[in-house]
Amino acid sequence: MPHRAHAIVTDTTRCIGCITCSKACPTKAIRVRDNVAEVDDELCIDCGTCMEVCRREAMRPRTSSPADLKKFAYTVALPSLTLYAQFGREFHPGQVLHALRGLGFDETYDISWMCEMVMGATDAYLSEATDPWPKISVTCPALVRLVQIRYPDLIPHLVPIETPRELAAKLRRRRIAAERGLDPSEIGMFLITPCTALSHSIVAPMGLEASHLDGVFSIAEMYGPILKSMREDPGSDPVDTVSVRGLRWAMAGGEIAGMRNANSMTVRGLQDVIYVFDRIEAGTFQNVDFIEAYICPDGCVSGGLTVVGRYTAQRNLQDAYRLLGDQATVKEEKVRSLLREHFFDLEAEIRARPVRPLAPDLREAIALKREKDALLKRLAGKGCAACGAPDCETLADDIVRGKAQLTDCVFVRLAALEKAQSAPQRGRHD
Amino acid sequence: MSGPIALEGPGGGRATGEVLYRETFEILGNDFEHGGVVATRIKAILRQLGFPTEAIRRLSIANFEAEMNVIMYAEEGTLELAVLPHGVRVTVDDRGPGIPDIDWAMQEGNSTATPEIRARGFGAGLGLPNIKRNSDEFVIESTVGVGTRLSYTVYVSGNAGA
Repeated sequence: MPHRAHAIVTDTTRCIGCITCSKACPTKAIRVRDNVAEVDDELCIDCGTCMEVCRREAMRPRTSSPADLKKFAYTVALPSLTLYAQFGREFHPGQVLHALRGLGFDETYDISWMCEMVMGATDAYLSEATDPWPKISVTCPALVRLVQIRYPDLIPHLVPIETPRELAAKLRRRRIAAERGLDPSEIGMFLITPCTALSHSIVAPMGLEASHLDGVFSIAEMYGPILKSMREDPGSDPVDTVSVRGLRWAMAGGEIAGMRNANSMTVRGLQDVIYVFDRIEAGTFQNVDFIEAYICPDGCVSGGLTVVGRYTAQRNLQDAYRLLGDQATVKEEKVRSLLREHFFDLEAEIRARPVRPLAPDLREAIALKREKDALLKRLAGKGCAACGAPDCETLADDIVRGKAQLTDCVFVRLAALEKAQSAPQRGRHD
Repeated sequence: MSGPIALEGPGGGRATGEVLYRETFEILGNDFEHGGVVATRIKAILRQLGFPTEAIRRLSIANFEAEMNVIMYAEEGTLELAVLPHGVRVTVDDRGPGIPDIDWAMQEGNSTATPEIRARGFGAGLGLPNIKRNSDEFVIESTVGVGTRLSYTVYVSGNAGA
């Protein structure tokens, strides 16, 4: 399997090898070795938890650089809806789009109307879909990756409709190429992202052979320059395409708020996702049609690469709704015709990436499982993570897979030391 | 004693002598709080052992239904996992009221669930047929006033529930 370039990189000059990130990681993807946090590419879902909990800012997001813009003849910035939510009532989405364009892009492209289109397409899909229920939204890439790794059985539950960001980039690139006579590869589409999971979804897309986006800039790095530009130049781009119904998608609950189907649920935050998904896997919640779920507690407004915090962001969005009125921009007719063209379809299958078995051969795997169970009894069970693994069970797993040793456990080493010290004394008495 | 009735699926009839691994789990009647815990633990074990996703999926559905049946109707029970060279056999024994008419209980929609159980979203009378549908071999025996024993097997190459 090729090494996936993750959206989060360890800054080895800042990392001191404490176990904070390792213990916080929801997929147990981090081990501390030689005083540096190492991320297991196969297990990481790019949720950004490590970045959030790190006290030394040693886990850094990987984003595009201004030099990447120069590789293209024409560049487009597609702001995540969460970007609008970073600014208070004195600045509306039109001004944000205007200021963003001034920062080195040829064009800014609002995706809120595409969000509204996808809400319509999802409604249409749900009205005709068959087993298994409930269907699950694919909006949050960290969530989709969690499903691939931890809940492969739930893959048939995922709604096979492409995300608004990818569809918007695909459509806009096609139009620009036609309008300007450019080769599609000469056009650079850049997402302004609230999180690392979205960054990584471009490098390693799911449901696509290749992403329609070419790079990302974080909201955090664009925030300062946008604010400065808006203060200096009060100009605004047209907002007639901005869909308020679509804008709600930035907050958890927004996707279903814009849909007709009312038999749905919103699941917020990783712990709740695990709680609910364990139960879906076990067969409950079959009476629910649709589940909108986010790894972050309030959806995209709580992404790790945002600035103002999720409470302020949600307040700002409420202001924007009031300012723009209940602006719906999408005609149902248009959604239906695009559905017939299969415009919304995922371009590739979302594949399972289940946990590696202990061994390829069943008998061998059983022998290793017994060994692991025996090891667990020898470990102290304190979950101190001083060994570099997040807990004792993971250490036992690493040991039988040949990736760690029993002596990595400080309590085992301490016991050995005490035994060695008491041995010579006993020798004298004997 | 109204059984045993052997109901074999499409993959039925294979010899199942050797057991490579065995583990038994306790289930308490009325313990709704932990409903699904055993099914989830077994799933984690089978993944570590490298069973294919599809076999684990079918088995998990059956295990969850069987586990919930003990919680809903019985005093207590055990679920025994037996890993075979080419599949998994699960045996669920409970101490409880038993099933007076197995043929009736095996039909979809038939259930003796109380309104309280139905209010929780269970007891739709789909449990036993669902277990049968998702397993390659299925045997049920029950004695009224004593308890029920279920045994079902999913083969790696089987195609039940497909």
